[in-house]
Amino acid sequence: SSREHKLNFKKSKEVCLSYIQDAMLRKQWKRAAEFLTSYIESLEKDFSREYMGPSEIIWRMGTEILCHHSHSSMKEFNSFIEQMKTLGVKRYLKVCLEHTFHLLCNGLVDEAYENLSLAESWRFGEQTAIQDKEMKLIQAYRGLLDYYSWSKQKNILLQHGQDGFEDLSVEQEMHSCFRKAAVNLKEIIKIPGVWDLFVKCYVDLLEFYGDHNEARQVLNEYAYNSKFPANPNAHVYLYQFLKRHGESKKSLISALKILHDIVPSHELMIDFNMMLQKSKKRKKRRLGLEVIFAALDYAGWKENVKAWSCLARQVKQIVISEKHLDWIKQEWNSRKDWWPTFHFSRYLAKRNWQENESLSYEKALVAGILLGKDCKYFKYISHQGCKAQMKRFRILKKFVNKHNPVYLRISG
Amino acid sequence: TLFPSYFGAGPPREEGGPAPAAGWGELGQVLEAGPGRCQAQTTFVPRRGGTGESWEPADAAAVPLLPPNASCWVPSLAPQDILYRGILRRKLRAGRYGAALDFTKQLSHFFVDHPEDAFGSLGQLLHKNFYLGNSKLRHPHVPWRGLRGRSCSLPQPDTSCPPRSGCSRHHVASRLRWFSHLCRDWLFEVPLGLLADCLHEELLLQWANLLFDDSPTGGALAWLPPKNTGACMGCVVYPGGQAMNHLYFQDVVLEELPRARGSPAQFELNGRIRQVAAARVDAEDFVGVRSDYHCGVWRVPGRTGAAPAPLQVIRTGTPASCLTVSPHLPGELAVCTQSGTVYLWSVETGLQQLRHDPQTMFFRDHSPWRWSDFTAHPRVLSCADRTGLQCLDARAPERCHFDLFKVGEEAGCQQGERVVLPLYLGRAHPSQHLVTTQFSVYVLDERLPLVPVLKWAHMMKAPPLFAHLTPGGPGRSHKVLLGTSRTQELLLLQYRGERRGSGRGSRSACQLAGPPQKLHSIAGCLQHLPAQLPHRHRLLQQRLSAPAAGLAAVLQEDGPRESLLVFQLSEAGDVFCQRLTHEAVQPPAPTSGDEAAAAPGSSPLFDPAAALRYRRWLRALPKGCGEPPQHSWPPTLSQKRLFTRKELEVPASPSALHEEARQRLRQAMREGGRIQHWDPPATQIPALPQPEEPAGDLDALSTRLTAAWAGDWGQWWEERSSFNMAQRQRALRERRRRQKRARGQRSLSASFTSSLTYQSELSELSDAAPLPLSPACPAVLPQEGSPPAGSPPASPPPDEALLSSQSLRCRGIPKERRKTLRDYLSVWAEGPPEPPEPPGSQASQLCIPSSQSQLSSASQTRRKRPRMGF
Repeated sequence: SSREHKLNFKKSKEVCLSYIQDAMLRKQWKRAAEFLTSYIESLEKDFSREYMGPSEIIWRMGTEILCHHSHSSMKEFNSFIEQMKTLGVKRYLKVCLEHTFHLLCNGLVDEAYENLSLAESWRFGEQTAIQDKEMKLIQAYRGLLDYYSWSKQKNILLQHGQDGFEDLSVEQEMHSCFRKAAVNLKEIIKIPGVWDLFVKCYVDLLEFYGDHNEARQVLNEYAYNSKFPANPNAHVYLYQFLKRHGESKKSLISALKILHDIVPSHELMIDFNMMLQKSKKRKKRRLGLEVIFAALDYAGWKENVKAWSCLARQVKQIVISEKHLDWIKQEWNSRKDWWPTFHFSRYLAKRNWQENESLSYEKALVAGILLGKDCKYFKYISHQGCKAQMKRFRILKKFVNKHNPVYLRISG
Repeated sequence: TLFPSYFGAGPPREEGGPAPAAGWGELGQVLEAGPGRCQAQTTFVPRRGGTGESWEPADAAAVPLLPPNASCWVPSLAPQDILYRGILRRKLRAGRYGAALDFTKQLSHFFVDHPEDAFGSLGQLLHKNFYLGNSKLRHPHVPWRGLRGRSCSLPQPDTSCPPRSGCSRHHVASRLRWFSHLCRDWLFEVPLGLLADCLHEELLLQWANLLFDDSPTGGALAWLPPKNTGACMGCVVYPGGQAMNHLYFQDVVLEELPRARGSPAQFELNGRIRQVAAARVDAEDFVGVRSDYHCGVWRVPGRTGAAPAPLQVIRTGTPASCLTVSPHLPGELAVCTQSGTVYLWSVETGLQQLRHDPQTMFFRDHSPWRWSDFTAHPRVLSCADRTGLQCLDARAPERCHFDLFKVGEEAGCQQGERVVLPLYLGRAHPSQHLVTTQFSVYVLDERLPLVPVLKWAHMMKAPPLFAHLTPGGPGRSHKVLLGTSRTQELLLLQYRGERRGSGRGSRSACQLAGPPQKLHSIAGCLQHLPAQLPHRHRLLQQRLSAPAAGLAAVLQEDGPRESLLVFQLSEAGDVFCQRLTHEAVQPPAPTSGDEAAAAPGSSPLFDPAAALRYRRWLRALPKGCGEPPQHSWPPTLSQKRLFTRKELEVPASPSALHEEARQRLRQAMREGGRIQHWDPPATQIPALPQPEEPAGDLDALSTRLTAAWAGDWGQWWEERSSFNMAQRQRALRERRRRQKRARGQRSLSASFTSSLTYQSELSELSDAAPLPLSPACPAVLPQEGSPPAGSPPASPPPDEALLSSQSLRCRGIPKERRKTLRDYLSVWAEGPPEPPEPPGSQASQLCIPSSQSQLSSASQTRRKRPRMGF
């Protein structure tokens, strides 16, 4: 009968859990809270060796309910979490970390900092791999908060500096914040991961104290270490850093070239194209054409006026100079079977004309050169433009008609 | 800026399984919000647990959108149909094997249901030598008579299962085994080993399908939005019909309660529709339809009211597992087959094979399921199997590809996690994809492959096979609906992220907004329906809890009021819909859900329109739906199932009703007609219809038969037996002795003439004493045969008594014909179907050999069954 009792207990536990779950999924927080108070009894005989035991379930569900319950306060929330911390040793760090997040999201930065320091000093036997990671995160977040107080004090100092008097204690505090922040942030960004936030802060610290080499090294490591995921932001940060420090065009281009290789649809590709178009080297201008064509392959760029004008400008240049028509031809070859329906359909002509006239102008120019003067898109737009008595459309028509043989050479 | 996360490579390290609360309580990570770094206080946003929009269900349950799928729905297979339910079950369950499939039961079902397929031709060939009836026979030359009994009893010993209660031929099991041992090589139409292999394979397949059926992945319901913005008429595309092989395009007007307008455009396809996918390109809708071996594409022109036109169909050798429609280029689709092939299908240029690899991508998994979808680049397709996603460039599929998602440490997966459904989220952000597994949902960005930008444990009871995205405008959250098949779960998630076409600066990382929300399932409406008769309630329950087969949603903007209409399709072909209304301003008390919580079984909470819709739906629901159709009973049925032992007992005396039934049957058979009406007997028992008496001299047999028909055989016997009995007995014994002696001398070949001997014996006997009976018998016989005074009339209704195999057997009608006769008799109760074959000739022709054998063995059987008619 004790076996039966156990079975019944287990069963009612499960039923109770499903009630809580159902209530939560229907946003009936009060009801869920009532059920949860009954479910707490399941802690008494927690022999389960399941993946997720009742104590974790109570922590997770309780946190969620307290977040949404109309009658809960931060005080109640804190006392609940404090109890949860004592429930499971293995979960202590995780609960601490989550608690910190809650405090931060509620604007309680000081409490969060306190909480993190407390968690950092916690020791219990040997740490598992997961706990190790959690500990590193706790330290990193503490470093982040140190960084924020550093930047606060920096702002105060800068302001005071403008006002003309110095404050030594603030400055000292600021430096100590820097040290604490730098140590912790430096640690976390060594481990493979996505650390945009920490890297940015760390680089900011280093730059402020003039340690550009270290900053560059950190950014290079973050962008190029193969153990890290291919994070386009890493390349963006590097590019921005290089740009800030007035690095040569060459190094900027090489940074963007890598970004282009991993994310051809990145917004920076417009800057990249403009940079390349201005270049005197043929090879770079060629790359520029490639970059802008590749960007316009993506659905997200379909209505990007800037990108279309970049392409229109470069194509126009090439057509006028009548040099390097083979560049266009080569780019066009792999696109001619689908760009006409993707970019230059009659439907899009109508819509672009209605919604964005300048977009339709740039696209019509490209269409007229790539597909000839009989292409649907060009015909529709130039017709509409001429009908509306717009000068630039008339010029456009003339230009395309004049350079129609180019189309034959490209498509041939 | 992205949320911080660790990145590791390799197989997933985290152990675990479905955890009941894994999705709650975690904020994941935080990130500073907004660009205002110089502000006095930095604010933070969480990855999960941010505030979402409030969408409240408008009704208490989902409401039918369309009338019920009229055709009869055959409920899908249930676990108890194929699981072994014997004594061994507990043992097996305790063991390592999770489920024991009842192989022997299925095999015997096959023999019973398809005897013609199982041993039709040999059965016919052996007809002369093998008696195919199931009465008990003894004859030295045909030792297997009677064992053949029910054909189903043969294979059971074959499979060497222990004799158990299910086996009706318990007591003859050893002989059966012997018999089957002898005949198993040649008796079966399909060699038994082969048949067993096929059956076993099929059973495993069915079981695997029961555990997880991935064929409806993607869902078979699509919504084609209104042609012009502002118009309120869209079109819902769904399958229907008895085999779900009709494709319907139904115009739907979005009102308070969406309603169908006009009759749907209908196409009949030659396969069950598994998936319907749709995308709009250049104001035209392209609808892809996948069945197992065919995929088709329809175009719905942009003009309102234009009819959908089929464009092209392809046939695949192995079942197709995926069909998605390109949102970029008109008439382009992606097709995957279970052989591991991915095609880009263009209506204009045909099929282009992008990949053919029967192996999975990242590690070995047995599932042949493949999926493909489009990405931000119209020439790049994502290819998925259970282990992850890869993106390939259609222009150079061999060279240009990258891994988008891997079940592994990269995405923080759990062990045993598998991809269930990928979905391109292009309408929310051109480079984002949704991937669902049985445990979690992931949002991935093509620009940052392998690392999910969002991950959340969805806690659903079954893997989400359906997903739908409703993109949110600027400043709004994107709504993702997840749906499961078997459990009909429906979950609404909201997430915020980069918006399509947003400029630089306003970028923010993906974050989950608000808690997930459960929507009504189709089955949930049952408790709000008016009370039904128990039997109808059960049918309704069965119908409403049919697995879900598709999911669609539409955002309806009606001035300041916004609502989300969610459509759900069930496997029975019913389309239900529910409305969620957006509360733009957060109500002061955000616990509005609590008030709406109604106890189950409470009064309906519908507005009158919905209630009316329900009443109509219920009325239109076919009465017999869910019940196995009457006529589809397998032609042969075990009598054990049809009648109880008690019913099978021949009544102590044939009642007047019996008499009449017999009489009419006889007459009908003679005339080759049929019995049209069955009138209950009049209050006063009419005079027994006089059997037709042949004019002139009656032989002894005829007299006896007549007497037997009339029911006063006992009296007849009395008369006869009193006549010179001792003398006749002596004469008989003498003759038999002589015969025995003569037979003993004859060679074996003489046995062939045995039937002749009987014939002569019969004639001899008939003009002498009727039967060689032991002296004790005559005294007993009349008492049993005559109706005991005051006994109640026979309990079984006449037709059943007539139909019972025992009474038919008594008439010596062999088993095969008994069935015909039974069928024949069962028709008159239901009106006239096709004219039955005239049984008269058959009966008479067949009665002769059996009556012979009957008589020959009469001395043995007579003692046991003294009340037989003959």
